Amino acid sequence: MHQTVVRRLLPLVAITALLIACAAETEAPKPTATASTPATESMAMGGGRKVNINTAILSELDKFEGLLAIPALSNRIQAARPYASPEELVSKNVLTQEQFDRIKDQVTVEEIVLTGRERDVDYLTKLGLMRGHLIVARELIERQQPEHALPHFGHPVEEIYLDIEEQLAERQVPEFKSALLKLQDLVKFKPDSPEIAPGLSAAFAAIDKAEQAIPAAGRTQPAMVLGVIDGLLEAAAAEYSAAVNNGKIAARIEYEDSRGFVLYAGQLYATIGPQLDKADPKTAEAIAVGLRKLAGAWPSIEAPNPPALSAEEVAASVKSVEQAAQKFAT
Amino acid sequence: MKLRRRQLIGWGAAGAGAVAAAATLPGLWRQWQSARVPPLPESAPPVSGMQPLALLREFDYGTLKQENGRTVREFRIEARTNAIQLNPAVSFVSWNFNGRVPGPTLRVKAGERVRVLFVNRGGHAHSMHFHGIHASAMDGVRPVRNGAATIYEFDAEPFGVHLYHCHVSPVARHVSKGLYGLFIVDPPGGRPPADEMALVMGGFDLNDDGRNDIYAFNGVPNYYLRHPIPVYQHQPLRLYLLNMIEWDAAVTFHLHANFFKLLRSGRTLAAAEEADVVTMGTAERHILEFAYRDPGIYMFHPHQDAIAENGCMGQFRVLPMDGSATPVEPVHGGHG
Repeated sequence: MHQTVVRRLLPLVAITALLIACAAETEAPKPTATASTPATESMAMGGGRKVNINTAILSELDKFEGLLAIPALSNRIQAARPYASPEELVSKNVLTQEQFDRIKDQVTVEEIVLTGRERDVDYLTKLGLMRGHLIVARELIERQQPEHALPHFGHPVEEIYLDIEEQLAERQVPEFKSALLKLQDLVKFKPDSPEIAPGLSAAFAAIDKAEQAIPAAGRTQPAMVLGVIDGLLEAAAAEYSAAVNNGKIAARIEYEDSRGFVLYAGQLYATIGPQLDKADPKTAEAIAVGLRKLAGAWPSIEAPNPPALSAEEVAASVKSVEQAAQKFAT
Repeated sequence: MKLRRRQLIGWGAAGAGAVAAAATLPGLWRQWQSARVPPLPESAPPVSGMQPLALLREFDYGTLKQENGRTVREFRIEARTNAIQLNPAVSFVSWNFNGRVPGPTLRVKAGERVRVLFVNRGGHAHSMHFHGIHASAMDGVRPVRNGAATIYEFDAEPFGVHLYHCHVSPVARHVSKGLYGLFIVDPPGGRPPADEMALVMGGFDLNDDGRNDIYAFNGVPNYYLRHPIPVYQHQPLRLYLLNMIEWDAAVTFHLHANFFKLLRSGRTLAAAEEADVVTMGTAERHILEFAYRDPGIYMFHPHQDAIAENGCMGQFRVLPMDGSATPVEPVHGGHG
């Protein structure tokens, strides 16, 4: 108990010193969680957007791994979350003070308001997650299992829609929440309704339309598509790890979630694969191999027991795809 | 005693205020100035890393910081997924905060700044939604994806006994798998000393059919039935009681052989009513204050007896104040 207190007090002293130092140049920063900084205002001196070390996905953290030449740094940054301040990278022994000083202008714990391509990738990823849910929902409906399809009709509207609702309005996309809610009600209370199949097609069409709010030229760029694939695969790896317990698929909902995300990631890759193959056949092959290996973990909508791949193997394959995809990041 | 001292250190001068207030109250209440807590029996085994008899009296006061002239209490909470052995036959995959069901009992004082550093390692998207008064940005309804962290920050108001829980849909599933805990906001002057305990009633739906299959106080079915909670005769007791049972509309908490003072939602300093049953809907919580006149073994349970007999049953073992006699053996069977 006492040890903990002392350990936490020490970094506080360091933080206080830093705050005083900062105050000389700018207004004293308020350590509040409510503040959200537009990315344009938090540009680091060396250029580029600040990275939120509490929320960034692995591929966003990889630039520090490269810059500081520390193997597996991205994973270590994630493993030491949460951070009350960037300085906790030092107090939690993720970085030395010297290493931290080299990147401190590029990291934050404030919420980042995404702009430009990153905002588009985030938007398309969320639509992709919705699509992944609906892909498995359709599989289960086709197998006459509406009760198992139900959560996958629920998640898009309950978990994801909220996150992009404002953006949909801003991008002048007609709302489709009410259509999703109606579909959910039908599956729940009238599972044999003939309106479900057309309703599902209409939901896919609404997602298509939402995606088209970003002009095709930007949306189909390999870097953009690979960014979306990264996001889908990270979500899939997380859901899969939640599905597996004691060497068994214990939670079918999470298995099905992750299946939908990976299926859609595969579909997306098919749209850019040939193009990447021409540009850099070796890297393109590495991505394709990783995706094929991943696909093996979800051989069908019914979960295999024992699982075809462990949660660790899935996470490693996701990482391998992300690393290869970095080569096309520009 | 250890706990009380920690609390006094945590609250500083406010503790002295509470003692002064207690001195003005008559009779029995004078004894609240020094809450006596019996040692825990060594025979009570831990369950899946949790020690229900200890967890009952554990309050997490966070880490105290001074920032810009304000007191900030900082908590670190991690959403996890791990199995809990509910009984010899049932291992349940729980989703929880800090590896325990219920999550840690967070405790602050009215007016303090509360900062919760929340990291999600549960595999699935989760969040922390606090009851109390705060801005919409801090309402914790937005999912935090697995591996990501977020910071919730708000002022602790109003004083009372509140709760926190995951608000990711379907909420009933996330809550009943274990993502809930008590959030106590103490009044500015504190409350009179007592042997304080946190009790949370929960239900587990083992086969995802939207019905509870087994129930528990503080996460482990029948634990306090088999390992009664030791307390002292005449010692004022204070229960922070929460009903977090999903799928059933309400339960009626009943205390045997006694009447308790009822402080609804903990929003008052003195009780306006007494009862031996109180009906609580999901998320409803109250403070119950009472003392036992006679040594012995006393049950407590919801008076929906099917629920009680399916895991939500506990007992107090009331020890003589002078430690002279050995109390009778606990009841092991059903509810007689």
